Amino acid sequence: MSERVSNRVFDTVNIILLAVFVLICLAPFFHIIAISFSSNRAVTSGDVTLFPVEFSLQAYQSVFSDSSMIRSLGFTVMLTLLTTVMCMIMTIIAAYPLTKKKLKGRKFFMFIIIVTMFFSGGIIPEYILVKDLNLLNTIWSLVLPGLISPFYLIILISFFNGIPESLEEAAEIDGTSQIGTMLRIILPLSLPVIATLSLFYAVGRWNGFQDTLLYITKEELYPLQLKLYQLVQNNMITDLTRNEGPSAGIRAATESLKAASVVFATVPILIVYPWLQRYFVSGVMLGAVKG
Amino acid sequence: MSGTVYLRRYWQLYALLVLPLVYFIIFKYGPMWGVQIAFKDFNFFQGITGSEWIGLDAFREVFQTQDFYKTLRNTLMLNLLDLLVSFPAPLILAIMLHELRIRWFKRLSQTILYIPHFISWVIIGGIVYQVFGTQSGMINNVLMALGFESVPFLTDKDTWLITYLATGVWQSAGWGTILYLAALTGINKELYEAAEVDGAGRFKRIRHITLPGLKTTVVTLLIINLGNMIAIGFDRPFVIGNKAVMDYSDVLSTYVYRTGLESGQYTLATVVGLFQAVVGLIFLLGANYASKKLTDESII
Amino acid sequence: MAASKKTWGKLAKLSLVMLMAGTVVLSGCSSKSGGSTDTSGGSSGSNDGKQVTLKVEIFDRGNTPEPYTITDSYLTRYIQDNFGTPNNIKMEFVPVPRSEEIKKLNVLMASGGDVPDIVFTYDTPTFNRYAEQGGLTELTDLINEHGPNLKAFLDEDAMSYGQYMGKQFAVPGKRAFLGKYSSFIRTDWLDKLGMDVPQTTEELYEVLKAFKEKDPGETGGKVIPFGMTIEPAQYDPLIWSFIQPTTEEQKYTLIQKLGANDYPTLLPGFKDALQFMNKLYNEGLMSRDFSLDEDKKQLTQDVTNGLVGFLTEDYPNLYYADGTYDTLLKNQPDAKLEPVDPFTNSEGKHAKPEYAPNGMYIMIPKTSKHAVEAIKYLNWMAAPENLLALQNGVEGENYEMVDGIPVIKPDAPQDVIDRLYNSGDIAIIANGNFVGDDAQNREKLTTNFPERFQDLHRKAVEIAATDTFKPVNFDRPIESEAKYGTNLQAKYEEMIVKTAMAKPEDFEKTFETTMKDYMVSGGQAILDERTKVYQEMQSK
Repeated sequence: MSERVSNRVFDTVNIILLAVFVLICLAPFFHIIAISFSSNRAVTSGDVTLFPVEFSLQAYQSVFSDSSMIRSLGFTVMLTLLTTVMCMIMTIIAAYPLTKKKLKGRKFFMFIIIVTMFFSGGIIPEYILVKDLNLLNTIWSLVLPGLISPFYLIILISFFNGIPESLEEAAEIDGTSQIGTMLRIILPLSLPVIATLSLFYAVGRWNGFQDTLLYITKEELYPLQLKLYQLVQNNMITDLTRNEGPSAGIRAATESLKAASVVFATVPILIVYPWLQRYFVSGVMLGAVKG
Repeated sequence: MSGTVYLRRYWQLYALLVLPLVYFIIFKYGPMWGVQIAFKDFNFFQGITGSEWIGLDAFREVFQTQDFYKTLRNTLMLNLLDLLVSFPAPLILAIMLHELRIRWFKRLSQTILYIPHFISWVIIGGIVYQVFGTQSGMINNVLMALGFESVPFLTDKDTWLITYLATGVWQSAGWGTILYLAALTGINKELYEAAEVDGAGRFKRIRHITLPGLKTTVVTLLIINLGNMIAIGFDRPFVIGNKAVMDYSDVLSTYVYRTGLESGQYTLATVVGLFQAVVGLIFLLGANYASKKLTDESII
Repeated sequence: MAASKKTWGKLAKLSLVMLMAGTVVLSGCSSKSGGSTDTSGGSSGSNDGKQVTLKVEIFDRGNTPEPYTITDSYLTRYIQDNFGTPNNIKMEFVPVPRSEEIKKLNVLMASGGDVPDIVFTYDTPTFNRYAEQGGLTELTDLINEHGPNLKAFLDEDAMSYGQYMGKQFAVPGKRAFLGKYSSFIRTDWLDKLGMDVPQTTEELYEVLKAFKEKDPGETGGKVIPFGMTIEPAQYDPLIWSFIQPTTEEQKYTLIQKLGANDYPTLLPGFKDALQFMNKLYNEGLMSRDFSLDEDKKQLTQDVTNGLVGFLTEDYPNLYYADGTYDTLLKNQPDAKLEPVDPFTNSEGKHAKPEYAPNGMYIMIPKTSKHAVEAIKYLNWMAAPENLLALQNGVEGENYEMVDGIPVIKPDAPQDVIDRLYNSGDIAIIANGNFVGDDAQNREKLTTNFPERFQDLHRKAVEIAATDTFKPVNFDRPIESEAKYGTNLQAKYEEMIVKTAMAKPEDFEKTFETTMKDYMVSGGQAILDERTKVYQEMQSK
């Protein structure tokens, strides 16, 4: 009886704590949405907290009527898909052999991969490399340099390691090749982590723009985050812009336009996770196989 | 086993590795010659190879600067606090989510908890100011309405640490749970059912089933985290920090940004980067070794 | 076992070979680099019938209106049609993200390829660095030969800002108006209190105290008598007004130029300025969270909500359409926020800094094969009619001529206004409008503003130009300033924040520690170098 009571107490406290944290996580996003629907006056005066003040759709009208934003969204979706698929394939084919303790040279390979987590050549040689490979101003300059994250690779290896070797041995005795084992045994059992890492790669690419600042000068290859960054950053006073003085008639974006752009650039990637969650459920059933 | 037999048997594994290794060699080791900037008086127009060698001069200069030690200390301090607070947060959150029995609430909260990860630091900075400001921040408005003194969350360096940690947890805890939740799917449901039959309480089940199921993931992340003790992102300390709390908020990344990159002094930036890389690698290998001895888990 | 060792060895060798192959490929490639990748001809500038491509940097601020793109807008087409095509030159604009300008320029320069023929920056240390490291084309002869308009437009004084060690390595953009700051006060509050407009620092202090105690704006205790941020526009006018009269020698040796601005850190009176700020802060006369307000957002919010009684600001900033003052009037229709000039120095003057006469540094990299075309382009731009068209658009559509001043038509359709959305980044040789003499240039500034604010704006312009002093200009760069400048700017702001926020009894101690930190972080090195260079200049 007391067990049941303590269970109920546990559940209630758990739900309340989570609900509070959920609200805290949601509030700033609500704030941004509220700003995007508010008038310029209300925003500059700081009247907007969680609900729109002087409701206005103007910001969204300008976002959606800007064909470069729409085109950029299309490009970003394509770029993210391409990156995610390629990164995932590369990470998987790197991770699987490296789980084999009997693979000779495994530690050496691991070492040279881990070294790259810490040492890098810096932006100048990286730029020269991309330039010499003739990748500047192509989509590949945003895909190839980041194909494998050593960090995600290590995570994938550790998940692969968690799969009982008996399953693989059984397959090998049946005469399945190693690649066959990987495809037919390991991958189906690893859907949750593969979904997770795909999400990580996708979000990383979606949110990343530092490389585009250097490698892309063609507007049709501007990802959404770069446009967003320019919108948010370029109107800010920085050490760089201070010396311009108030000379040029530079059009500054209003706060609500910035907020609407943030929403526009964030919502598409936000819905990826709920969609991926199905793989987390199927993983649970597969987990039972392990016994 | 002879070499040929070995290769005939395992060639597929090597075949799989070829592309990834080529990738690492071209894109990661390819630009590595840039590291020599640390030992050169870098001239933009003679390029990296053409610039003059200066030996360890740049290292000597960096190691003589008092700001270097201050920012190094702050980096370690903030990372250590993060390790104590921000590292366990997603683990706890993941377990809490895992224990939820209401399916819709579980899915909904998972989805919402990771939203903060998508809000860029520039925007978070503005919001933090509105929430934690001394004069007109929301929290202080409430405190003052209740008759308390206002708390300088952002301008007093000790209370600032709380703000720094809180925003870190807020921004990354939900995101961090995703990996743990993926790991939790690997736990056999029958174990929980058996435990229930045995009458084991919730905490007992968490301790004996959930946590062991997460052990590998936790250890892997911990090792990587320890390897990153000396590295620190730029945005969070820069955006959350301000001039009043520079004694704590100024870290290696912000220091390098100011003294190196913004002033076009790539040599200095590379020196600090190289120092961080060497120390980081040692930390990681050390953590890996210790973990192997203590928990039998390791990443290499 | 031996065999497996062999395999291991083979593998190690294999990977080594691959690594080397990779490196060879790379180094092979990188040795190829250097020089412009342009293949459209134009050998060393001679324009022998073949079309030449001229690449010009352009700032991308992410604000391009439909249907333009940053590289294809009304103005780029105008330039192609009026300069490019007649001269058989294909203009190509290379966008550089505004906020990453220097980083990108550095990488382009260091990688030796794809550098535009014309690049520019506002950053003095960057210009000095490029010049010092020998990456820029010497321009004197080119300008003499191909730049008569340019020479006429930029007088000798402005030209000298583009020199490094006596050599012309940049075409400096020229600033139309050098004024920086004005102060503003709620005159309706003064009226309510029956007080006069403050004319001196002491009078201002009395007014601020009255604002605090009597709260004429009925803010319910939220009043901020003096709106402050950690931006120069808010603290500079105050600090400089405390600086004592300085000798020529003191100016050269004690001023520290960090970035593009002169800092008074070591000048007599600086400490008094900080002490005054400390007093304002501790008496609750100044924004409490000023140290957090790095983008004036909070200040703007406080002003628009009618909480701020007095502030200093870049002279035109309040009076833009839908700007701060407009919003304040929407919130409080009776509010009056007018320009004043209260800060006085020990001589009773309203001393305040002004801009250096130069704007951008326009540079032609040494790798450029089209230096002649580049100068021709700038020369074309310097012709008054072309500059007028680039800055003001089409007469009758964008503007009307009134008393020799091109007055922007406020009722022009949006697509006509959008033509000029980035004219400031296109007309690089000028910072601001040149329409005639100084008075006309000033009047032109005012006509850009909504009519209802023009009188106030005119007054702010006048104040910004009152009792100003020029930045100090050495004939050679101070190396330690380039090296420590960015770091010291942060230290300087840290000093202001910490001393202001210290308890009055801790002021001395705080000032000493922060000043010491400033000095060891490069302040001393700059002082030493400037003193040395000054003595060398004197002994000549």
